Amino acid sequence: MQKSKFLPRGRKDRTMVLVDIRETKSAKAADIFLQVRPGKDFELITILRALIKDRQVSDQAIAETGLTREVIDDLIRRMKGAKFGCVFFGMGLSMTRGKHMNSAALLTLAAEMNAFTKFVAMPMRGHGNVTGADVIMRWQTGYPFGISFSRGYPRYNPGEFSTVDVLVRGDCDAAFIIGADPGATMPQPAIDHLKRIPTIVLDPHVTHTSKLSRVHITTAPQGIAAPGTAYRMDELPMPLKPALKSPYPSDEEVVRRINEAIAKKPFWLPDGSQPQMLNAQV
Amino acid sequence: MLRITGGKVYDPANGIDGVVKDLCIDDQGLFVPAVEGGRTIDATGMIVFPGGVDVHTHVAGGAINFARAMTPEDHRRTQAFIRTKSRRSGLGGMAPTTFATGYLYAGMGWTTVNEAAVPVLSARHTHEELADIPIVDKASLTLMANNEILLDQLEKGEFERAKQVLAWYLWSAKSYGIKAVNPGGVAAWKYGHDAKQLTSPIDGYSKLTPGVIVTHLARICDELGLPHPVHLHCNNLGAPGNISTTIDTLKHLEGHRAHIAHSQYHAYGGDGWDTMCSETAQLAEYFNAHPSITTDAGAVLFGDTVTITADGPWQHLLYKLTGRKWGNLDVENETGCGIVPYTYRPSNLVNAVQWAAGLELLLLIKNPWQVFLSTDHPNGGCFWRYPEIIELLMRADVRKESLLKLPDGIKGKITLPEIDREYSLYEVAISMSAGPARALGLFQKGNLGLGCDGDVVIYEEDENVRKMFGHPRYVIKGGEIVLEDGEIREAPSGREFIVKPPCDPGIDDFMRPLFEDCYTMSFENYPVEMERIHNPRMQDCIEVPR
Ligand SMILES: [Zn+2]
Repeated sequence: MQKSKFLPRGRKDRTMVLVDIRETKSAKAADIFLQVRPGKDFELITILRALIKDRQVSDQAIAETGLTREVIDDLIRRMKGAKFGCVFFGMGLSMTRGKHMNSAALLTLAAEMNAFTKFVAMPMRGHGNVTGADVIMRWQTGYPFGISFSRGYPRYNPGEFSTVDVLVRGDCDAAFIIGADPGATMPQPAIDHLKRIPTIVLDPHVTHTSKLSRVHITTAPQGIAAPGTAYRMDELPMPLKPALKSPYPSDEEVVRRINEAIAKKPFWLPDGSQPQMLNAQV
Repeated sequence: MLRITGGKVYDPANGIDGVVKDLCIDDQGLFVPAVEGGRTIDATGMIVFPGGVDVHTHVAGGAINFARAMTPEDHRRTQAFIRTKSRRSGLGGMAPTTFATGYLYAGMGWTTVNEAAVPVLSARHTHEELADIPIVDKASLTLMANNEILLDQLEKGEFERAKQVLAWYLWSAKSYGIKAVNPGGVAAWKYGHDAKQLTSPIDGYSKLTPGVIVTHLARICDELGLPHPVHLHCNNLGAPGNISTTIDTLKHLEGHRAHIAHSQYHAYGGDGWDTMCSETAQLAEYFNAHPSITTDAGAVLFGDTVTITADGPWQHLLYKLTGRKWGNLDVENETGCGIVPYTYRPSNLVNAVQWAAGLELLLLIKNPWQVFLSTDHPNGGCFWRYPEIIELLMRADVRKESLLKLPDGIKGKITLPEIDREYSLYEVAISMSAGPARALGLFQKGNLGLGCDGDVVIYEEDENVRKMFGHPRYVIKGGEIVLEDGEIREAPSGREFIVKPPCDPGIDDFMRPLFEDCYTMSFENYPVEMERIHNPRMQDCIEVPR
């Protein structure tokens, strides 16, 4: 592990605490494992927020989290004693009971810890280059996901414009899917809609989604046979250098060619039929 | 090819002050004595300026993109750009999207922008965003004043080595120059501290002080012959009484070229928020006596914005003061960044002092070639509000009216009420174009002379200054008419200016082991590949006289 001026021994100078509802493989890599009772994340975070500020917390409230007061006091001592603390959190927190409230509480805890020492929090992202998609959508549209262009400019409403919601409601009449396999993970009504409409998939592999699609264009795998960029979880871009050659085109090339073909067609709106700009959105 | 006839031309780079004169631009987009054929714009009765140049703005990269993510509530209420055949969709507001950024800048006649804060680690990302900002030409500055490998060389007194390390980083980032933010303070912030005294050693170092960093960075930029001098965000930003730090910093720069970023945030007296006052007179006096140093105002406008700066400790303080959202980024051992949404209110005494201080600097620094229009976008206000500042500079009566909105307690804290100066059109043209272009070392910009880039903005003369500058009649970029009658007509992609400083080939061998010890990516993948730069233009290094 990387060394630094203040942590010259690398991993040995770092302490890793794992909090989970069960002892996973990650526990072996951790110095300390804390088993929290399922669904008690929000409570534990709130207790930590109270105790770092020396507020009173009842034994009963602590017992409900599945941890003891000694363990929590020790954790707080370590947190405050750290030179630089970082909390990584994932879907176990953001997709269970409490959802975004859990994330909000954790972010607040990290912010409040800065009264004592440097502390940050960072979400652990899903597989693949999900951070990259998020980063680019943000600079082009202002929003990370859940965006509708139906009025000619970006609008954002997770829960309404998120892929799964659009599909479940049957709002779209075509689907273009790159480097994802919603057919494997989405609820049945969404999958049924993908089967109903023309679904186009760009993927190096045969997937659940490619099997139900109308068109599957095989592309070269990114980072193996196609160059590109992948954004790390901390939003730093890493260049991908292909090790192999592929007979298939890259995703980028396919999209570019589709774009060029579309550009030859007449523009979808007649000239002057729409304002160029809205000063206040509706 | 394009001919512009009959307009009243303001071209300060060539000393032309409101002379009726024709301009011709050839197929390469450069000014030439005459052209055959092509379109002619009859600019009779109109005002012709060189395209605007923003010397200090934040429009691309990890920090502004983080700000976009943090402010969906603003996107929803702001201006929306609808997709057309020649234009992509986007959103304006406090942190505009990339396409909208290009349309908004060009929409008010700006044709060159300088992204002022790029960590090398996210340079690849920044260049991708810059490529998505249409129309305007771009440059970017690399953050260097808190880079641990560089600081270690300075601590050891290895000046030549430090120079090579800096040149290596600059070329790795494919950038245009060097930005220093809170020298030493951002490095200390990694461990929750700051660096406030210019002469005290920085956390973790025994000899190295912010003052040493400032002097050496200025000297390195001069010796490497970078076209733009060190671009410095001083220590102690925003703090009452920071004028002493700022003056002290300026003294550390003597004998060198330098550009001081957003001076407004560094010109305060008092010893607490209650006693905070403007000390711009003192700062302006220093600038008036030292013509080789330039600055941009970092003016503040009342209203909502989002603050983003590499000054992490300051942002933590701002979060504690406001209780609003706070985003913090640490970029390994290179730098950091903080983001906090903010509302400047006339009723707030501190904000009122800041508002006045920005204007005071623009008015008290006598030579317009030394002080330029900026809001440190989006920190003091959004760049698309520049026409409001121009109006405040040109019209003392508008300033007087605005002063009435400030609380009574402002008396004695500011000098703005005593200033009568009004900018002429010629001075505005220096402040928004010719001056910043010269300070950036972009000699082909902000200049309507033969051989320069054909970037022009044409205004319909109007008593209403704000309207005139907010709504140009034509904007021409590289000889192409990009805006006509208030509408974006063409959105060509802009170019990116890059500098390759002289660099010792042995520096790779020196950097590799240090790099591999502390970075989390591989040495080979770190430098941004030239192929990734969209329309690069190499700008030559220059000989800087001692
Ligand atoms: Zn700035």
